[in-house]
Amino acid sequence: MTIKNPLAKLLVWIILAIWTVAVIYPLLWTLLDALKNNEQFFLNAPWALPKFPLLWSNFSYVWSKYNFGTYFMNSIIVTVGSTLLGMILSAMTAYILARYEFRGNKILYTIYISALMIPFALALIPLFFLLNDLHLINTWLGLILVYAALNLPFGIFLLIGFYKSLPKEIEEAAIIDGTSHYGTFFRVMLPLSQPGLITVMITNMLNNWNEYFLGVVLTNEPTKYTLPIGLAVMQAEMQYRVEWGPLFAGLLITTLPTLIVYMIYQRQIASGITAGAVK
Amino acid sequence: MKTNAKKLKRNLFIASFIIPTFLFFCVFTIYPVIQALQKSFYDWSGMSENSEFIGFDNFVEIFKDPIILRAIGNDYFLVVGKVIGIMILATFFAVALTRFKLRSAGFFRAIFFIPNVISVVVIGVLWNFIYNPQIGFLNAFLSLFTEKKVDITWLGFPQHTIWMLLPPTIWAGIGFYMILMIAAIVNIPASYYEAANIDGAGQWSQFRHITMPLIWEQIKVSVVNIVITTLNGSFVIVQLMTNGGQPDNTTQVMGSYLYRMAFQQYHFGYGAAIGVMILIVSLITTFILQRVMRQEAIEMS
Repeated sequence: MTIKNPLAKLLVWIILAIWTVAVIYPLLWTLLDALKNNEQFFLNAPWALPKFPLLWSNFSYVWSKYNFGTYFMNSIIVTVGSTLLGMILSAMTAYILARYEFRGNKILYTIYISALMIPFALALIPLFFLLNDLHLINTWLGLILVYAALNLPFGIFLLIGFYKSLPKEIEEAAIIDGTSHYGTFFRVMLPLSQPGLITVMITNMLNNWNEYFLGVVLTNEPTKYTLPIGLAVMQAEMQYRVEWGPLFAGLLITTLPTLIVYMIYQRQIASGITAGAVK
Repeated sequence: MKTNAKKLKRNLFIASFIIPTFLFFCVFTIYPVIQALQKSFYDWSGMSENSEFIGFDNFVEIFKDPIILRAIGNDYFLVVGKVIGIMILATFFAVALTRFKLRSAGFFRAIFFIPNVISVVVIGVLWNFIYNPQIGFLNAFLSLFTEKKVDITWLGFPQHTIWMLLPPTIWAGIGFYMILMIAAIVNIPASYYEAANIDGAGQWSQFRHITMPLIWEQIKVSVVNIVITTLNGSFVIVQLMTNGGQPDNTTQVMGSYLYRMAFQQYHFGYGAAIGVMILIVSLITTFILQRVMRQEAIEMS
């Protein structure tokens, strides 16, 4: 069905166009503003193009002077570590819960699924003291463990659905061939569940790269900040030292990796969200 | 004998796959949650020697604390504003991008989701820039229509600042819920619409009598999800855009107040009690919502 009324059609197009601009505009201008100096911010309209010569040096400045190089490294390590750990643990649990009958199966399932409802703010204070006792404050490992745990319920939930959708005959055939339980999982089921695993990987990656709430409590040393924390600190400093251009360069450095991941895996992200939700 | 060995192998396999994860989950999720529930009954400054059991005193305190009442009100304001804003726009976009058979639907869909992959910190900083009184976009834009330069400090009006937090959070949330709505609409059998077409039902009545009732389940799930994520996560945007509840605590939400009480004023017991309040408020709200929306669904069909 297409819209017949030309006026209604025009209206729909206008609304869609406005929202497109509303989404794209801030990103585009982040790039352009990252190339300006303070003078250009104060004298010209916000939508004015940056003047030549473009200040690409804002990027190297924020990278070294504001430690965005360090934050970037921290973000990479924490994101990769927590994403891998979360993926492996949720795949193993989801496989068992989806394919094996045993006492306690239902209870475990209920526990993990109810955890989706828990406000994480509740766990924040005890987590701080727990990590403090374990000497994991200001460490990559601390953030990796906490982020991995945070992502477990959703990963398990999504992968259970995925494993249930795979035909049972595959495993039966493997077992008859004399493959062990471990062999069946690692050599047969794990490769087959690749689409589900990729979805979990990307959602975990985006969550962990963007996380701020826990990170800000569990780190207080600038050398261990991740990008969102470093960025928030930099913005707070702008009250005393106005360096808008570098701030926008920092915004872009924080955002670009997720935008690239999104552009590559756009389809998996959309199908993953719907797979998790329409059930 | 042989089957026993087999059974043992199977059980060992199961155990080796679920126990490590469950222990890990117990340490980093279940234990902290239980600790939070327990510590909410203590007067606790962070050093373990200084922790004293005080029963429900923290909760009594909460109900006498004008700031927490304001914070709960603000949380509800954001919940209601986000539910209305996000659900109307997300449903509109989903319908426009599926039922109207636009050729560029895929393009819009990809674009509209972008804010959902951006860190909330980036969103906060960007919108601070939009609201900035001197160099901000909003004042410059409004100045195009006036003779005098518009000079409004958007985040500086105590009674209205909380309103300014709605646009960024709605902007950031729509894409995700739009995808959910699209999935629900795509699942509706085409024959329903064909039949309606033959009966001569118009666009609007098809939306009311076919689309709406059939995506109602998805709308319910989405509303509950908005409630939980808002009560749990508004802290960040408040922290970044209004400096943790300024001016004068008028934009305080429960999460930011928890952070301030615990990590800035070292009232960890009181902070834990606020955390429990967040849990209670979100449970009660989702419970009521599910009752109300079930009613609604019956009336509509």
